[in-house]
Amino acid sequence: MTSALFPLEFASDDFRLLTGLFIGFGFGFVLERAGFGNARKLAAQFYLNDMTVFKVMFTAILVAMVGLYGLASLGFVDMAMMWVNPTFIPAQAVGGFLLGVGFIMSGLCPGTSVVSMVSGRIDGWVTFVGIFLGIALFTFTVDWVPGLQALYLAGSGEVSLLHEVFGIPALVLALIMVAGAVLAFVGAEKVEAVFQAKTKPVELTPPNRPRLKLAMGGSLAALAIVTLTAGSPGPSTGPVAMTSMAPLVLAEKLIEREPGILILDLRSDPDSERGIPGAVRLGDSEARAEYLRRTPEGTLVVTFDESGRFTEGPAGWPEGLDYRFLAGGWDGWAEDVLTPASAWGNSLAERDRVQRQNQISAFFSGAAVQNFSVAAPPPMMPAGGSGKKPKAGGC
Amino acid sequence: MKTKEYWNPYVAGVILGLVLLAAFLVAGNGLGATALPKRTLALATSQVAPEWTAQNTVLKSYVADGASPLRNWLVVEVMGVILGGFLGALSAGRLATKVEKGPNISVRGRLTYAMAGGVIMGFAASLARGCTSGQALSGGAGLGTGSWVFMLMVFGGGYAVAHLVRRQWT
Repeated sequence: MTSALFPLEFASDDFRLLTGLFIGFGFGFVLERAGFGNARKLAAQFYLNDMTVFKVMFTAILVAMVGLYGLASLGFVDMAMMWVNPTFIPAQAVGGFLLGVGFIMSGLCPGTSVVSMVSGRIDGWVTFVGIFLGIALFTFTVDWVPGLQALYLAGSGEVSLLHEVFGIPALVLALIMVAGAVLAFVGAEKVEAVFQAKTKPVELTPPNRPRLKLAMGGSLAALAIVTLTAGSPGPSTGPVAMTSMAPLVLAEKLIEREPGILILDLRSDPDSERGIPGAVRLGDSEARAEYLRRTPEGTLVVTFDESGRFTEGPAGWPEGLDYRFLAGGWDGWAEDVLTPASAWGNSLAERDRVQRQNQISAFFSGAAVQNFSVAAPPPMMPAGGSGKKPKAGGC
Repeated sequence: MKTKEYWNPYVAGVILGLVLLAAFLVAGNGLGATALPKRTLALATSQVAPEWTAQNTVLKSYVADGASPLRNWLVVEVMGVILGGFLGALSAGRLATKVEKGPNISVRGRLTYAMAGGVIMGFAASLARGCTSGQALSGGAGLGTGSWVFMLMVFGGGYAVAHLVRRQWT
């Protein structure tokens, strides 16, 4: 297991379930106090005289984002264990648009309809019943309306992360978003002021407090910068900086036969029988540094030891390579990749992930990929990365 | 009892963000809302037509492990939302049986819109594998690419038809 503290592992499933009650309570309470049990206040977002929805939502997203990726960069959170929605672009785009249409008709979204309902609002009850019927409508029609199932399943279904799409660290993206949000909030206040002159906002909206807003934006940005400098590579004069790579991410890269990857086996026990397919094992640190100097620039170098203690490259390693350490080391690989998934899940997507996990573990547990090379002296590794691939075709 | 003012949106946003972060740290996933109705439906159909449920593209994963579809963190979480929303409204003096609507629409008209919007949202949230809570809020914080596409499209859809249904609100 990796050394990250979060997400928490629970001794009992019942206790884990119980935490949902408390966190849900907080969710419902905050939604109510933000005014989200009131359909008129939510609908006002779309008439621009009350942008509370935008403000609350983006502040929340950014706080959680900076918190999550900040803690991850400090090593407290194992992002590989976090469930992030997989990407099915067509279904998400069409579904999102339709949900927006339904949102402005009801004045509520599914979560807020629950809050509206328990606040006694009849429109909340009717919306919630409508949502149930809509879910039933989709469920009963998905398998026989032409094209609906295809739309539902179209897309990669992989967990695609926005910062990886842009090729920048998550916290840099979060920082850009914080900066953008602060500007957008200032703009939202201006837009509100213009449209409130035409239409009166929903009552009980608290007075505008620009200083508070600036303090919030400032502290969020400061937090992002602090974690960013604490957790990401700085200019390296001494030891080369490394970031972690989740075992499953590496496994996927190997299965995809992604070029330009060098895996360095740093385990001290030379008699280890099992390893990561294609990993290179060298005698001593001098040989490693020499080997790395001959490795093409830009190569992704993934190192692993027994348990993920090795998180910093020694001083002699050349710059220009993309160094990563395998989160959890060999133990992490054994646990995340070689072990089939235990089936617990919230959704179809989770089911898909479990299925994928099982494919991966079967692939790497197969005898065909268990023999790995011990390179001494190592051959020059071409950028194409041949020889770093699993030998068996799987999946 | 005098009705309490709504919280400042930025304060509410920070607290909501911390709740969302807590969900990730504790449970390893974000928040949701449609899990309760979805899984209730799965429970109902699995009683009436177990084989059909096991084959259905949407429902099959909820009944795959043999446990009750309602034995799920997100379902318990929505039960928490019910409690939290109720006590929030009660303690703020906002508990009232009424219909929220603009002055220029009948109660019947407003409820017709609410029903139609609900059906569309239920359909849409099933298609997109999540709603504003599960996709936009949680997936957005997790930097999921598809979730950001979803979120932008929600705003796009809302603004696209807002003018057509303005009679409801203004």
